Amino acid sequence: MSKLSALRRAAVITASSALAVSAVLVAGAPSASAAVKPKTGGILTFLEHTPRLDHYDPSRIYTGRDLAFMNSFMTRTLVAYNPVPGAAGATLVADLATNTGIPSNAAKTWKFTLRPGTTFEDGKKITCTDVQYGVSRVFATDVITDGPGYLQAWLNIPKDADGNSVFKGPYVKDPAGLAAFKKAVSCSKDDRTITFNLNKSVADFNYLGTYGVISPVQAKLDKGDKYDLRPQSTGPYKIAENSKTQLRLVRNSKWSKASDPVRTPYPDEVIIMFGYDEEVIDQIILEDTIPTAVNFAEPLSTNNDKFFSDAAFKNRRMNNPDPYARYFAFNVKAMPCIEIRQAMYYSRNAKALLDYAGGETYAGSFATGVISPLLATDYAPTKVVGPGSPDFIPTGNIPKALALMETAKTKCPADYKKATETGIKFDVRSSVTLNDTIPIDTAAYARAGIKVTFNPIASGYYPTVMNPDKQSDITASGWGADWANASTVIPELFASFGGFNISQNTSDPAYAAFEKGVNTAMLTTDRKKQAAMWKALDAQAMKNFWVLPTIFGKAQFVWGSQVGGVFFWVPQGNPAFGKMWVND
Amino acid sequence: MAELLRIENLHVAFPTDDGLVRAVDGVSLTLNEGETVAIVGESGSGKTVTGLSVMGLHKKGSAQLSGSIHLKVGDSSLDIVTATDEEIRLARGRAVAMIFQDPMSSLHPYYRIGNQLAEGYLVHNPGKKKEALKRAIEMLDLVGIAEPDQRAHEYPHQFSGGMRQRVMIAMALMNSPRVLIADEPTTALDVTVQAQILILLASLQKEFNMGILLITHDLGVVAQVADKVSVMYAGRIVEQGSADDVFYKPAAPYTLGLLKSVPRISTHGSERLKAIPGQPPSLINLPIGCAFEPRCEFSTYAASDICATERPDLLGISPTHLSRCHVAEATRDRLFEEELKEVR
Amino acid sequence: MRNFLLRRILFAIITLLVVSAVVFIIFSLVPFDPAALSCGQRCTEQIIEGNRIKLGFDKPLYMQYLLFLSGIFFGRSYGSGSAAFNCPAPSFGYSFNENACVTDLLRESLPVTISLALGALILWLTVGVSLGIIAARFKNKWPDRVSSIFVLLGTSLPTFVTGLALLIWVTIKWKLVPLSLVGYTSLFENPFKFFQYFILPWITLAIAYAALYTRFTRAAVLETLGEDYIRTARAKGVKERTVLFKHTMRAVFAPIITLAGLDFAGLIGGAIITETIFNLPGLGRLTLRSVFEFDLPVVLATTILAASVVIVMNLIVDMLYAVLDPRVRI
Repeated sequence: MSKLSALRRAAVITASSALAVSAVLVAGAPSASAAVKPKTGGILTFLEHTPRLDHYDPSRIYTGRDLAFMNSFMTRTLVAYNPVPGAAGATLVADLATNTGIPSNAAKTWKFTLRPGTTFEDGKKITCTDVQYGVSRVFATDVITDGPGYLQAWLNIPKDADGNSVFKGPYVKDPAGLAAFKKAVSCSKDDRTITFNLNKSVADFNYLGTYGVISPVQAKLDKGDKYDLRPQSTGPYKIAENSKTQLRLVRNSKWSKASDPVRTPYPDEVIIMFGYDEEVIDQIILEDTIPTAVNFAEPLSTNNDKFFSDAAFKNRRMNNPDPYARYFAFNVKAMPCIEIRQAMYYSRNAKALLDYAGGETYAGSFATGVISPLLATDYAPTKVVGPGSPDFIPTGNIPKALALMETAKTKCPADYKKATETGIKFDVRSSVTLNDTIPIDTAAYARAGIKVTFNPIASGYYPTVMNPDKQSDITASGWGADWANASTVIPELFASFGGFNISQNTSDPAYAAFEKGVNTAMLTTDRKKQAAMWKALDAQAMKNFWVLPTIFGKAQFVWGSQVGGVFFWVPQGNPAFGKMWVND
Repeated sequence: MAELLRIENLHVAFPTDDGLVRAVDGVSLTLNEGETVAIVGESGSGKTVTGLSVMGLHKKGSAQLSGSIHLKVGDSSLDIVTATDEEIRLARGRAVAMIFQDPMSSLHPYYRIGNQLAEGYLVHNPGKKKEALKRAIEMLDLVGIAEPDQRAHEYPHQFSGGMRQRVMIAMALMNSPRVLIADEPTTALDVTVQAQILILLASLQKEFNMGILLITHDLGVVAQVADKVSVMYAGRIVEQGSADDVFYKPAAPYTLGLLKSVPRISTHGSERLKAIPGQPPSLINLPIGCAFEPRCEFSTYAASDICATERPDLLGISPTHLSRCHVAEATRDRLFEEELKEVR
Repeated sequence: MRNFLLRRILFAIITLLVVSAVVFIIFSLVPFDPAALSCGQRCTEQIIEGNRIKLGFDKPLYMQYLLFLSGIFFGRSYGSGSAAFNCPAPSFGYSFNENACVTDLLRESLPVTISLALGALILWLTVGVSLGIIAARFKNKWPDRVSSIFVLLGTSLPTFVTGLALLIWVTIKWKLVPLSLVGYTSLFENPFKFFQYFILPWITLAIAYAALYTRFTRAAVLETLGEDYIRTARAKGVKERTVLFKHTMRAVFAPIITLAGLDFAGLIGGAIITETIFNLPGLGRLTLRSVFEFDLPVVLATTILAASVVIVMNLIVDMLYAVLDPRVRI
């Protein structure tokens, strides 16, 4: 799920009543229409505002929804999440492989054996070589951009002086690099078993197997960048048209049900219609103009009440916690004084901002850390920030904030002066909502004598804030787990080797101890023990105030009257698209 | 001589936001076959409005007409004031035609001359396109345009001002009209061209036996061609009579003023032009008395202040010579004689 | 005539060179690094440098510009090794956002935009000019007042309001026009679907323009009706209908054609709102997307295309004017 997509509603909020973990999972229960026997045939239509998906190339998709969509219909991966409602949905099942991966060598070596009878859409049998080739592509970092970077970090391939892999991907002729890669990712003699050799123990490496970065690609069909437009299907549907107006998937005749334990395709065709105005999409669903249509994104917040207060939409709506934790990352290097970071947390008016964004009903709940409640195993309220913590007041705890500022005045006068006189600079994504939220924020922090200025960034938000030279004092951000393990959250956000660490916290004296804890947790294969460690590390990060968590978000989905089988697929944070069917 | 046109007590008024503009206020005149009647006056005196009334060219909504305009159409007579649009339309071109003041803007810039001429013929002779073009070329030839068959294919902008006026005349003559209204036909032209046009009009009049209603402010022109003259001031006729009467025995102070203002080569060296002092009155608020009174140098000779309080009637000096003036005829004759000496 | 054309074509080429150079310079001044923008999440200096080379941003600006120009005549290759590919001439570059040669993007978008603009043009000319004539003919009477209400609404309602209202009410709520689920269909392929697809966008655009043309035509007709040559026509005994439709319209026609030509040119590059609302994959949307996504080759190409259309339409209008108005000779 990675970072919060730029296209998602910009959230602005923070922290309240602990959302019971069980409630989260109950929200994923199937809708009433799913109880009816699924129908085969018809056209399932998704209506989408953006002009296209970011990527179709399995190696480059890294957005939760697109991943869930493409993997449901087109891209088979070694392992997959079980597309069922409720907690069982997070279970790994074998997909292209016959098992969910066999670790050895303290989880430094992972083996997957391929299932027989699986083919590409052109009929070619899927072999280990195809998967190996698919994996090799992600090393061509100039061509295959935007996908998850775990393979580059974990595969046991030597690095050059700059810390980059010596292997540069399949597009450059480099026998030495290729040999190094083939040592790390090897195929058995019969070309059925693939072995991954990692440079460290990764107990949950098999979860990466749900991503397209480990999926088969035929070398002779790989056109580099161009493969993004027309990737070969391995699933029940293939691309018939990928244009500026639509993505049209039709049945892949080479796919056989017998070889696929995960997918049960129902419609004859699946279409994403691109580029519709968001209001138009909502109206189409409200009026049921296309009864077989699904809003591929969330309805506009202004239309939420129409959908969720009218009983007529009872079976056509879903409102679930989304997998993202929103937070503000402190640039710890620029704001080394923890009292000021704390004072900002206590003076923030979390309730006003949550109410502005739609309240608990639609926007979400006050966050207690960066691990979302959807990560049921790893989640616990940290009791440091947000609901359940001793001094948390949704509208702000001003006496506490003032006391902290008083301490800061003597303890770190330079930082105090910056906070009260120069002003603390805030990176935010440009949005119309800023007009309303900036005054709320400014007034809230002013209660503790803190001055804030805002730096709205119109485009290239993450590339900008991830550049240490360009990042301001605080950066608004959001993150969701890549799979059901906080190993894709805590290290990613807070460790020096993490892919999305924008806290610059390594300079903090508390960091060394923290990283030690992270390393221990990553090597722990006992999932229960590991979960306890993630909970503790979440709390520890909060205690250090490297970030200021705001909300655990919510997501709404709506669809037409003739769409059935819609349920929330917990690990993907989206509906299980592959289980939807339509009445003609 | 058959009577072609008889205007009786014609009133034309235009309602505006500021009030009713009385452009023509009780005009009567007649025009016979082969005769040229001139209407003389300053701009705004109502002479063009009178001409347009005869053509029925005032918009129904924007002009209020009363009185009558009896135009001979075929063998019968048509009152333009009460006639229907269609009756008027059919009369145009054949019973009455008009040459407009500005030949530069009166021709359609986008159509060929030949076609513009032919169109007038086609209105009354539908479908006879070939004949119409032939006639157009004949007419162009008649009005003295060289190589008429070629020039018929040209556009107005390819013609000089004088040539365009000739074209306008040719256009007016396409259907051999009985009455030709010529509104300042020479004003926009060079003096040499003016003479040519007047000679042309005179010769054509003979040929077609037309009655010409000549509208002009130029007494020189009137002297050359007119049989009868009506002098207009502020929408009213102030003097009417034969050309000789008006020129040699003017009976209205305004006519005298006009005569005095005609530039001429003086035998006593250069002499200043004697323009009439002052401005014509507003047609919305006409003085209750004589409209010319504020500018008139003779009003003191009238009894008491009658010129300022009472409107003079158009009275006959002779059966064919009428004028509007409160000053007693004898006094007037004496005073005018003095003045005219200077002019002659 | 030949000299005129040669002069104008030379002028057009210079204009296009200047336009493209200015766009180039503007984009070089914007404080964003396109190489970094197309870099993935785990961006390193090395990847950015690689991107820079791949996109050609490593070369000095004038070289980039010359490469761009040479691409138009000789085509251009991108990438290296087995991931290399070629955009044949005339190449306006390669869009890494769309994964396509820009020329192909233009080729796909242009028919949509032309269909939109041409249909709307026909509609607004028909409606606008007719209403304008009626309003002038019945000046200050009820048809004139009704048309003035239309003019007021048409000129004050923004396109996105009328467009969205039409789409939501006519298509979604009343279901009078089916919501096109298939994309653009060419007129020659399936005229019925073509009309279904474009009818609401045409109306949306036409309302705004028809209002302007009604006002313009009314004023022009009234002005022309006051011309001396119209009086001449009436004096000839020409029927009132002929006076209006022949003599008057002949004179009103030329300025309307000029206006229409320029408006049409403007729409080719600028029907952004209508294309966005109705989800038409035309040039406007392509431009909008490319600007938002900082897709320089596409921005450059659409800008040059829009400029070319304006220049060409100007030329056509000038030539048409010469045909329509005998006083103008070129």
